[in-house]
Amino acid sequence: MKKKIALIFSVALAVGLTSCKKDIKEINKENPGQFSDSDPVLMISGAQLANVLVNEGEAARMAGIFAGHHVGFDRQFVSYNDYVVNAGDFNNPWSNIYTEGVAQCRIIRAKAAKANNKQLNAVACITEANLLLTASALWGDIPNTEACVDGISSPKFDKMTAVHNAAIALLDSALVYGANHANYSGAYVGNHNWAQVANTLRARAYLHMKDYTKAAAAAANGIAAGKDLLANHSQATPGAWNLYYDFLDWNRSGYISASGSHMEKLLDSSAIFRNNAKTDESDRYAYYFNDAGYTPLDPNWDGIFGATANFPIVSYVENKLILAECAIRNNDATTAIGHLNSVRSDNATNIGGQYDDYVIGDFGPGQMVPGTTVNNAISKEILVEKYVSLYGQIEPWCDLRRTKNEIGVTPNKGNQLPQRFLVPQDEINANKNAPTAGSLFDALELWPQ
Amino acid sequence: MRMKHLLMVISASSIATTAFAQAGPSAGSGIDTVDVGTVTVTAIGTTKNMRKIGYSVSQVQGKGLVSSGESGVIQALTGKASNVQITRSTGDPGAGAYIQIRGQNTITSSNQPLIVVDGIPVSNSSFGGGTDGVVQQSRLNDLNPSDIESVEVLKGAAAAAVWGTRAANGVIVVTTKKGKRGMNIEFSSTYAIDQVNREYEKQEKYGQGTGGRWAANNANSWGDQIALRNGKDSINAAGAKFVADDGTVYGTIVRKGDKEVYNDQNREQVFRNGITWNNNLSISAGNDKSNMFFSLSDWNQQGIMKGLSDYRRTTARLNFSQSVNDKLTVGLNANMAKTVSNRIQMGSNLDGLYLGYLRTAPDFDNSDYKGTYYSATGVPTFNAHRGYRRYLGNAAPTYNNPGWTLNEQTNTSDVTRFILTPEATYQWHSNHKLIARLGHDMSTDRRITYFPVNSAGNQANGSFTDDHIQESETSLHFINQGTHKLGSDINLNSTVGYLYTYKNIYNIGGSASQFIIRDQDRFAFINSTTENKDPFNSFSELLNNRVYGLLDFDVKDKIFLQLTGASEASSTYANRFFSPSVSLAYELTKDLKPNDVLSYAKLRMSMGRVGVAPPAYIWNTNFVAAGSYSGWGDYLDGSLYGGSIYRSSTQGNPDIEPEMKTETELGADVKLFENKVSLGVTYYQNKIEGAVLAIAVANSTGYSNQWKNAADLSNKGLEIDLNVSLIKSDDFNLNLYGNLGRNRNTVEDLSGAAPIFLAGFTGASSRAVEGQAMGALWGGKWARDESGKLILDGAGFPTVSSEEGVIGDPNPNYRGGVGLNGNYKRLNFNLLVETCQGNDMWGGTYGVLNNFGVNPESATDFTVSAADAAKIVDYRGVTLASAAAAGANGLAVVNADGSITARGSLKDWGAGNVWLNQYWYTSTGGGFGSVSEQFIYDASWTRIRELSLSCALPKAWSDAVHVPGGISVGFTGRNLALWTKFKGVDPETNLTGVSNGRGLDYFNNPGTKSYLFNIKFNL
Repeated sequence: MKKKIALIFSVALAVGLTSCKKDIKEINKENPGQFSDSDPVLMISGAQLANVLVNEGEAARMAGIFAGHHVGFDRQFVSYNDYVVNAGDFNNPWSNIYTEGVAQCRIIRAKAAKANNKQLNAVACITEANLLLTASALWGDIPNTEACVDGISSPKFDKMTAVHNAAIALLDSALVYGANHANYSGAYVGNHNWAQVANTLRARAYLHMKDYTKAAAAAANGIAAGKDLLANHSQATPGAWNLYYDFLDWNRSGYISASGSHMEKLLDSSAIFRNNAKTDESDRYAYYFNDAGYTPLDPNWDGIFGATANFPIVSYVENKLILAECAIRNNDATTAIGHLNSVRSDNATNIGGQYDDYVIGDFGPGQMVPGTTVNNAISKEILVEKYVSLYGQIEPWCDLRRTKNEIGVTPNKGNQLPQRFLVPQDEINANKNAPTAGSLFDALELWPQ
Repeated sequence: MRMKHLLMVISASSIATTAFAQAGPSAGSGIDTVDVGTVTVTAIGTTKNMRKIGYSVSQVQGKGLVSSGESGVIQALTGKASNVQITRSTGDPGAGAYIQIRGQNTITSSNQPLIVVDGIPVSNSSFGGGTDGVVQQSRLNDLNPSDIESVEVLKGAAAAAVWGTRAANGVIVVTTKKGKRGMNIEFSSTYAIDQVNREYEKQEKYGQGTGGRWAANNANSWGDQIALRNGKDSINAAGAKFVADDGTVYGTIVRKGDKEVYNDQNREQVFRNGITWNNNLSISAGNDKSNMFFSLSDWNQQGIMKGLSDYRRTTARLNFSQSVNDKLTVGLNANMAKTVSNRIQMGSNLDGLYLGYLRTAPDFDNSDYKGTYYSATGVPTFNAHRGYRRYLGNAAPTYNNPGWTLNEQTNTSDVTRFILTPEATYQWHSNHKLIARLGHDMSTDRRITYFPVNSAGNQANGSFTDDHIQESETSLHFINQGTHKLGSDINLNSTVGYLYTYKNIYNIGGSASQFIIRDQDRFAFINSTTENKDPFNSFSELLNNRVYGLLDFDVKDKIFLQLTGASEASSTYANRFFSPSVSLAYELTKDLKPNDVLSYAKLRMSMGRVGVAPPAYIWNTNFVAAGSYSGWGDYLDGSLYGGSIYRSSTQGNPDIEPEMKTETELGADVKLFENKVSLGVTYYQNKIEGAVLAIAVANSTGYSNQWKNAADLSNKGLEIDLNVSLIKSDDFNLNLYGNLGRNRNTVEDLSGAAPIFLAGFTGASSRAVEGQAMGALWGGKWARDESGKLILDGAGFPTVSSEEGVIGDPNPNYRGGVGLNGNYKRLNFNLLVETCQGNDMWGGTYGVLNNFGVNPESATDFTVSAADAAKIVDYRGVTLASAAAAGANGLAVVNADGSITARGSLKDWGAGNVWLNQYWYTSTGGGFGSVSEQFIYDASWTRIRELSLSCALPKAWSDAVHVPGGISVGFTGRNLALWTKFKGVDPETNLTGVSNGRGLDYFNNPGTKSYLFNIKFNL
């Protein structure tokens, strides 16, 4: 009996140990739900989506409130409208930029270089430059040279000028690698050409730095009509549709309004109404605004921000208006008006309304487009046209800060427009080299007030 | 397959079980923490005399669990042992609970103790539990409390070291009932009524609207004065209308005139008395050779929310043990449970109950929520949803009408659970026996989440999720126990064990949205187009094996020394690691002359070190599906852009080591005055080194998190358990009992990492912060100068600090309970009062109700002279005088004498009075502003946890109805009274359920109080 039972126990033990025999060293080695590596060709659209999210999503909405494009109307956005924010409000876009954007671009570049895939390398350079330019325009000094380097846990913050120069260098190398194509455009749709995109981004960077000669030279090879770099929102489903649409009609209806914004005033009867003998903005008004939404006047989630409306990341209109501004800064009124008129006719074609060509006599004291001098009137008109045309984008806020609010947007509170985003709380918490959060009203290195 | 063979081998091989020898029950409460005469069950499921134990253990008898009337075993432990903190997620039926023994021991891993039932680890997982959704169950809810003989809570590392990894948070050892000699059939039936125990008040003076004027569909109640209306709404007969299912017509309102306030009706729509029927049948039988316990139970509960809120658990159990001969005993414990429940959406959730209910304007009637919308031209929309944000139901309202949340949405959980534990014991030598135990614990949970078309927010076009979770754990446990005599005065008991556990969790499901057929409820993916279907799955597994040994020395029956060691291998770590412990007990009274004062005294000391294996799958930096998310719900999904896989933002770490917890405990158990007073005191301190977590790193490194042995934590505390026999006679017994626990937790070191987010929101969260207690509340603060004074703006309002920081501590200073129990003749009674002091809570709901102008605080009014009115400004900078001139009667009005009466209040922060009104509360001064600091409240509480009375009916009565064993009837009241300064909801709830984040309130479903009536027949 005893032997029999001992035998049974031993058999039980043996079976027990072998039956569920899985190799203890192996079973947790690989996560069954994730991968251990990826082809850089598969990574690029992810990085581009981060770029789109930053330029069209949360950061763009906040910039739009600071620029007077939008009115924070409900909940936390009421405080934002009063310029009451704290460092925690800026965590998300910062994280999108670095972890989903810049870090991926740098991995892609290294992998593409190894595989000698120059086209992909060029696209990664352009994507990264776009992210860095936007980040630097929002925060000023940001980590770049020490960012996304394994082993550096507290990347130092580089000066805004240095980051802009680094972005330009990336764009230059993209052009060297060969960017005359539209490959690797997973997040985008349309007829863009990467070389043109790179040149308009270079122009944008030089414009930020107030180097109007170089900006004009770059823009000369910039985006042509119909060749905008557009974020692809052709699918009407969350996760792919227009991010403004998502915010305005899907997730956060009523949080942002257009009612009483500077943008509304420009397009509706007010002291700064833009209609004149050569201009009728009523079609643009209808395309931009919706008065049957959640607030007295919503940014039009049925028009410019419709669910399947593709969103411009870098555009022909921006390129033309950079050319126009650079010309007027050089006191070349005729060239400036020429570029401005191209944009006006583009408006008429794409949106409708009346945008007859201006001539130099239309500008100046007491003229159709008034100003202290002729050139002042032209310069202001170019900036206002850019402010209106780039509705929902970040660049108009950059122009306001660069030009010391030349077009005279009235602050919502106090007598100053916000100058920057705060250094995000997450970065302050973990990066020993991070400066303090700062104030919204601290002027940036490139744009002293 | 082979597992099945094994099971057959064990069950066919037939061997011996440890005879269960639980000592007699203590009266009433079932609390018996320091009764030194009794036997306790050790971590490995064997029994040991309490006298010989050198660590602290709290024992709770099954009776005490049952009398609490809680459906779950964990919930029923509340207040019954010192430093065992139980927090229910909410008062929903079957809601899970968070257990914390001696503070928190890890940062982002589980802080939940190991649950061992009849010597086998079982799952107490709780999946889900974020800031929205429904409240989830804890899997220990699947056990029927009536089946439980006793529960021992082993708090310290020494007691638990043999379980290694999973025991670092303590062990709860549950022993189920065994058959007793003879035969006993017991049937008991309980009827219980639950009620909401704490509610938010709502103002009734001002209507829906903004700026002091009525406005339809407006989110806020910053409208006009209801009392000044003319009495009847003016309706545009030609306008659009909503026809409710019962035929009531709601037309387009041109001017609001109705003076009625609907707070009471709206409350009626939401709450009811929750009703529970609980029936239990058990049969116990036994003789010299065998014993068996069989039970059936059915718990059928309707929740306090008037809608699809219910919980039904049906269990069956068979515990059987047979001595085959004098050496071999075999047994089987088998438990099955079927739990079906329906939950109500809650939290930060447009489709949640409290969010829509509490925000509803006082002048809006929620009763009719479903019907047909007719446009002005007569075009109908069926299944239209009417709520205060869309009073005509012309589109989905911004927030759900509570009626819709309660009755139209489906959130079911359907759980099947089996726990099988065959066991054999063989006395293979006169001094040695071998126990072999196999455990298989398996559960499946099918969860359906269904939002019909026209639900609020993202669910407007319908959404459906079908989610299956399958969890299983197999363990194999061999124990050899030997006794040895080492000389005349020294005895040694040795135990050698081997434990193997394999656990896996498999989750598969899918969701579908944007329904094709909009008016028929079907739980089928067929109702969505391909791009709106989203399948998901995940799988994880864990393997552990452990060899351990225990040496118990007994010197002269007064000094008891235990040495233990366990060597563990885990699939999540490359090497074996070792967990040793030592404990010593010295029975002082053996060396003293017997005296009247000190009847018994034992000093005890223990030390232990427990290694905790790191979590699975953290060695590598993985590549994951690309997607970018904002903080506001908008996102871009790489899979909709042709698919993109890129590097994860969480950095893996191949050098991760086990966490190490070291604990030292000192204590004494004393009995005084002929055993009338029993006192147990324990002091402990522990340190957790190298806690593994994904620390937040600077995002500019390219990562957001990195796995690291990053944190050191410490806990120290004191536990006192007391029992005093006040009166002891044949007819009348009265005991005073109590416990007090204090724990101080500190996050000692985070390797310089940023505060770690545990749960909550961007603006207010529970975090781990260096130098603070775990779970510290974190958020936006007021700007202050160096002296701590508020920095005011020009008008005199405080300003916002640009950086966030620690704003509160959700951990109590101490927690304790005191009670009386006993019997008078046939009447048994128990009263337990519990308190928890010094804990903070973020009153997110309260702050947000101010934003909406629903909170009574926001609806006060005041009068100032015309002169003052010209000076005092609101947050916009508008003076009272000019606001009054605007002519909105809900904002400010000019009185006949020229003075001005305005809604809101005056506040002086140091630069003179300012006017707090809509423009303050909807901005910086409200719950959506960035200053969470202002909504941190003291959430200390004291409550009558339990009052129970039971009475055995006279034998003549029971005999008359042929119930020979007797009949008893009982009453229990739970949470009968609650004293707390925290407003609106029982602070013993937690928004994020069973997560490590604590102390958050944001539209949590409420807690309950209960009245239970019980009758028991012994046949």
